Amino acid sequence: MSRATIDEQELGQMLERAGLALTPEQVRAVMPGAEIFRRMIERVNAPLPREAEPALTFSAEQD
Amino acid sequence: MAEILTIAQAARLLDGRKLSPVELANSHLERIRRLDPQLHAFLLVTEERALTDAKAAEARQMAGARRGPLDGIPIAHKDIYNTAGIRTTAHSRLLEHNVPTRDAYTVAKWADAGTVMLGKLATHEFAFGGPSFDVPWPPARNPWNTDHFTAGSSSGTGAAVAAGLVLGGTGSDTGGSIRGPAALCGIAGIKPTYGLASRSGILPLAFSLDHPGPMAWTAEDCALLLQAMVGHDTEDPASVDRPVADFTAGLGHGVKGLRIGVVRHFFETDHPASAATRAGIDAALDFFRKEGAEVREVALSPAADYHAVGYLLMVTEAFTLHAPWMRDRFMDYGELFRDRVALAATVSGPDIIQATRRRRLLCAEMTAAMADLDILVSASQQGEAPRIDSVPKWANMEKPSFTMPFNVTGFPAISICTGFGEGGLPVAMQLAGKPFTEPTLFRAAHAYETAMPWRKRRPALVG
Repeated sequence: MSRATIDEQELGQMLERAGLALTPEQVRAVMPGAEIFRRMIERVNAPLPREAEPALTFSAEQD
Repeated sequence: MAEILTIAQAARLLDGRKLSPVELANSHLERIRRLDPQLHAFLLVTEERALTDAKAAEARQMAGARRGPLDGIPIAHKDIYNTAGIRTTAHSRLLEHNVPTRDAYTVAKWADAGTVMLGKLATHEFAFGGPSFDVPWPPARNPWNTDHFTAGSSSGTGAAVAAGLVLGGTGSDTGGSIRGPAALCGIAGIKPTYGLASRSGILPLAFSLDHPGPMAWTAEDCALLLQAMVGHDTEDPASVDRPVADFTAGLGHGVKGLRIGVVRHFFETDHPASAATRAGIDAALDFFRKEGAEVREVALSPAADYHAVGYLLMVTEAFTLHAPWMRDRFMDYGELFRDRVALAATVSGPDIIQATRRRRLLCAEMTAAMADLDILVSASQQGEAPRIDSVPKWANMEKPSFTMPFNVTGFPAISICTGFGEGGLPVAMQLAGKPFTEPTLFRAAHAYETAMPWRKRRPALVG
């Protein structure tokens, strides 16, 4: 399945894995937003050059 | 009804003992009693506290010991700012009876400056997700037309300042929550550089994107308010430890010599703004050119790229904070908050890493674009405020935001009014700068505001 799409069953499973035990009606209420959000996630995951690394850094010398 | 003063005007009168802090507080309390039943800007009016503050300010005034321009100035705080002994709800059922024991750092700073606190202002639930009609208090209404939206989440502050209920107030901005209501309510609001104003004691939405900041009728007033808001706070790990600039230093110096870039694709192709919004920006650019600024176009990544990164991180950070309540008390949240934050369940670990990588690239892109520029101009909002009963549930996701790019990068940005649209409601533009160049933003915004007629017009309901 393309990451750009999502169906109610998949959304319900994802919500459950996150600890949100929602009713089918509650899942349906989230569904339109999930479709828009999927497109955002797809955009964020467009390929990046390797030089975009490192993604995260930290300083060993914390003040 | 007496004329509504700006903070700068009131400060001059207070300095000259031509205005009493107690009389000023009482006039604002009277205006709140008269107008707030239509506006719902306040969640709580703290009249007793206001009069205590005002009497103390008056005593200092009479002793020749005013603490500065904010001494005796009526303000209020967005209801995510902790106020010791005073209910702080985040406009949510979950904190309906929450009474903090300490002031937020910024609340204490304004109190030390002598401000007179009139109360707590409406927000969208936990600064995200309005307008909601299923939370314990109604959403704030736009003073220019109470059938219309204020934008959010600093909705009460936008409405209260525009209607003259307060002279200034606090806001917070995670994706545009200061600049949005500033734009739709026709006032000024600045999101300072990330780390300039402390977040400690403010209920968070998303740590890496949250910015506290002031809202007021003019850019000059925002400069005065921000001056008293900033400073290094060891309780906020993002708080910068550097000398604080004089935010009023550039006021009155015009824009001659400033280098201004216009991100035209943001508001012409990425998310086309209304004709009035575009006309307002074009007129402002003409003004800047005429006054000696250099203006040229700049291209950045599509606004949707910034929006996607910011929204993904915002929702995920918010879920991280709210997970225990989201799991146990899901239905105690309003629908808009709970359904938007639930989207975090669809984000994977690699998605977050990719968003973080892309954020770094976008920061680098904006830094490079501004290397030889002082200011970036774009829209603040698409157009005039929509009707409050016709804001789609997913409105803040469907189109890319003009404000989110500066939350993603942390660069400072101010929204100021550029006139009025066909519906008679305000339109606005956004000026952004390099990190810690707030004085330049205030300089340009003040030059524009003082040359234009927009600051002379108040909502009709004010009377």
